[in-house]
Amino acid sequence: MVLPRLTSLLRNLFQKQREEHELDEEVRTHEQLLVDENVRAGMNPQEARRQARLELGGVEQVKEQVREIRAGQLLETLGCDVRYAARLMRRSPAFTTTAVLTLALGIGANTAVFSVVNTVLLRPLPYPDSDRLVQIWSTNPNTNRWGMWTAYPRFEDWRQLNTVFEEMATARTWVISIKGGDHPESLFGVITSSQIFQLLRVQPMLGRGFLPEEDQPGHDHVIILSYGLWQRRFGSDRAVIGRTVDVDQQNYTVIGVMPSDFRFPPELPASYRVDAWLPPAPDPSRNERVSNNYYTFARLKPGVTLAQAQAEMDAINHGLAEKHSADRGLGVKVVGWRRQVGSEVRPALLILLGAISLVLLIACANVANLLLARGAMRQREAALRQALGAARARLIRQFLTESMLLAVFGGAIGLLLAYEGVDLFVRLAPHIPRLNETTIDPHVLIFSVVLTLGTALIFGIAPALQGSRTDLQDSLKESGSRLTIGSTRARARSVLVVAEMALALMLLAGAGLLVRSFVRVQQVDLGFNPKNLLTAFVMLPPSKYPEPRRQALFFHEVMDRIASLPGVECAGGADSAPMLTNDTGTVSIEGHPVEPEIQAERPKITPDYFRAMGIRLLRGRTFTWADSEGSLPVAIINESAARQYWPDEDAMGKRVKLEDGSAPVWRQVIGIVGDVRQDSVVEAARPEVYAPLLQVPVPYLALAVRTWAGPTALTVAVRHAVMAVDKDQPLSGIKTMEQVVEDSVAGRRFQMSLLAVFATIALGLAAIGIYGLMSYTVNQRTHEIGIRMALGAKRGEILHLVVRHGMMLAIVGVVLGTVGALLLTRFLSSMLYGVGANDPTTLLSVGTLLIGVAALACYIPARRATRVDPMEALRYE
Amino acid sequence: MPPDQTNLLQGTLDMMILKALALGELHGLGVSRRIEQITKGTFEVKPGSLFPALHRLEEQGWLVSYWGESENKRRAKYYKLTNAGRRRLEAEAKRWGRIALAITRTLEAS
Repeated sequence: MVLPRLTSLLRNLFQKQREEHELDEEVRTHEQLLVDENVRAGMNPQEARRQARLELGGVEQVKEQVREIRAGQLLETLGCDVRYAARLMRRSPAFTTTAVLTLALGIGANTAVFSVVNTVLLRPLPYPDSDRLVQIWSTNPNTNRWGMWTAYPRFEDWRQLNTVFEEMATARTWVISIKGGDHPESLFGVITSSQIFQLLRVQPMLGRGFLPEEDQPGHDHVIILSYGLWQRRFGSDRAVIGRTVDVDQQNYTVIGVMPSDFRFPPELPASYRVDAWLPPAPDPSRNERVSNNYYTFARLKPGVTLAQAQAEMDAINHGLAEKHSADRGLGVKVVGWRRQVGSEVRPALLILLGAISLVLLIACANVANLLLARGAMRQREAALRQALGAARARLIRQFLTESMLLAVFGGAIGLLLAYEGVDLFVRLAPHIPRLNETTIDPHVLIFSVVLTLGTALIFGIAPALQGSRTDLQDSLKESGSRLTIGSTRARARSVLVVAEMALALMLLAGAGLLVRSFVRVQQVDLGFNPKNLLTAFVMLPPSKYPEPRRQALFFHEVMDRIASLPGVECAGGADSAPMLTNDTGTVSIEGHPVEPEIQAERPKITPDYFRAMGIRLLRGRTFTWADSEGSLPVAIINESAARQYWPDEDAMGKRVKLEDGSAPVWRQVIGIVGDVRQDSVVEAARPEVYAPLLQVPVPYLALAVRTWAGPTALTVAVRHAVMAVDKDQPLSGIKTMEQVVEDSVAGRRFQMSLLAVFATIALGLAAIGIYGLMSYTVNQRTHEIGIRMALGAKRGEILHLVVRHGMMLAIVGVVLGTVGALLLTRFLSSMLYGVGANDPTTLLSVGTLLIGVAALACYIPARRATRVDPMEALRYE
Repeated sequence: MPPDQTNLLQGTLDMMILKALALGELHGLGVSRRIEQITKGTFEVKPGSLFPALHRLEEQGWLVSYWGESENKRRAKYYKLTNAGRRRLEAEAKRWGRIALAITRTLEAS
């Protein structure tokens, strides 16, 4: 009875068209048969056809009547089950609320996490036909520190030589300052080759994009504004096109304004706004083959695969290496752009998705448990229905309809929660590329619908199978006396509780490992003191300060002014400071063979830099303003450099050379300082070779201002100190060092907090699950417990009886969960710090925690069992 | 379970279709002609009621259909009684017998 209906349902849903066609054919055949009949009766064909039409009474009407019958049938059976299920839900509001809310939480959290995964990892980049876009960079097999970039001249070669790309462009971020208004402003610009907008297939909202020749000298003083800058600084004036603006003391012509939703580069943090796009004119490194500063991307020609592109780029690169020494030892990598943009956060997001789906599984187990408990109470109903002739399949369908209805309500509320959850996620999350684009789009909706239906099946199938398996004899016996509980049902519930425990343990283990890692991270000795330290960037426009001497003098004066501010203890600056900026490159060591692989951090610093940062001086002396042009070239190295470059000798007095384009002189090591965590809190220190700013001037410094208290209060004073030296010189990126350090661990903190929240929910759900089972068992066994007590069992024995049952389940769950954790935690290893993926301490403590919580959850019903009044219990029923 | 008026009428047509098909597989027109023949022309089943009834009975699982060839070589949809349909017909026939008897008695009572 069910099968034909089910096939008819499927026919209706999936084969609507064929069905229609068949119906049409059936009715037309009928007409034809009537005609045949009439012809045989002696009518002429025309008359026969007319009579047949009369009898048929309209093909379409007949078809419509059939369609109504079919739809009605479908709705009637479904409607019947749904109505019944709804009535049941209304009748037990506590059960319904618990189940629906549990599911809503599970489905909602999953939907929210998925919507982030969908945006960051799955959704195409916000440019037309973006699946053809790739990113290309130079790799260095020895150090691999260059990562994602290449040098501008190399990009130009690539662009000219390749045949696989429709277009190739390159870009880097660049801070520019513009004049006018009440104060000079540092703008966050993007320097780019001229093909960028054709490549991305994006048009400016006003004006035009760059012309092909506009990245060449002589044509390159043009600028395109962002929508935000156009609104803010130019009052949304459409006549801005063609106007001249002062950028770094030079005249640039505004040629376009980009639309407000244009974002480039796509992985830029949401908090960053790009203000303007301009040709590479201001960047002196654009002609250097050794400065790998450019982010290069391209559009594949139609029909060209990634592998073909990689092969051709390899060949081109090989050819270039023969011509240019700077290209030797460099590889080239072509990857899909969208994949690359999400690559860093991919493991973290997938782990979150995995964790939250475990939470949903536990929620499912809990609801299944509730349904099983209720199934026990509805056993008589099921038996009665079967006695009245309902097939088992019909009962299963009824139960599944009920589950479906619960899930649909849960899913609907879950979706509302997800809307809120996504907002919260986006607000709290650290930098994740494209996160701000997160929306609940059709893909997410489909996901949550499938999830809801899948959830209903997962939690509904066991109760439906159980509930429909009624043996009339059994159920009669059971309702007669309650000496024992239905054994298969109890087993099913026990299995669910064990599964919940195991899943919860896996989540707790993961969260525990992250928490322990985070504690380790917090304990790391950074090598500097981030407390009471204000940082900011100053970038001198090369057009205004072309002479290195003047750059150095500017910073000397700025340092003096800042150091004399009230509230400031001391101030320093470096062009490479921990977690702020880098200048990694080659150094030579006197007496050693010249090796390009000897890489070091090469900060150029002011004398008070070490004192301001709190970096320990271990030997020798620090720089003074006297270490200048005319004096002996000097350097200070860190412990790592001393150990690595002169493993068996004293480094003091030895000589090093910076291979950075500055004057090639040997510098004498006059001091050794402690290591600092240069790249992030968790990455080991690297060799550093410090040089005095006055000997190696740079136009760009990160300032470090040590204050007596509350560094942020000094922001304005520091800004004015800089403007007092040059009223047009802006200050950017003002942050406390504590904030900088915090930002560098924010991703870790977020990941840990989310997993900890998920694990706590899991723990709570598992506790509720085991509590529910034990309460139910105690209720079922009231009669038995009564008898035991009447026969002289002591309270302690009863307590033991109940708790032992629960603890058995908990222990089995913990053992299974530990096995699962041992298998799964290795996926976490890239996120761990200072603990192994199978850290026994963590596993042991979360196992103990879970067993403790389970013991508490069992103890409460067990105590209730000991309060059973034997007389009452025996009279019961 | 006293049937109401419409159920009675609908039930009657369903029963007659089941009965007609109990004697052999037929296409739509065949069913309608067989009923005319059995009832000696008392019931004429129009396509407007025939097809909805056939599809309804098929949905219930009492009939199955397949495409076959008619006596004059036309592709036509044939209907066949299932076992469930056969049981249904027996039950309906019994019920109908009781109702008919009751009605007859009622009318004969004076």
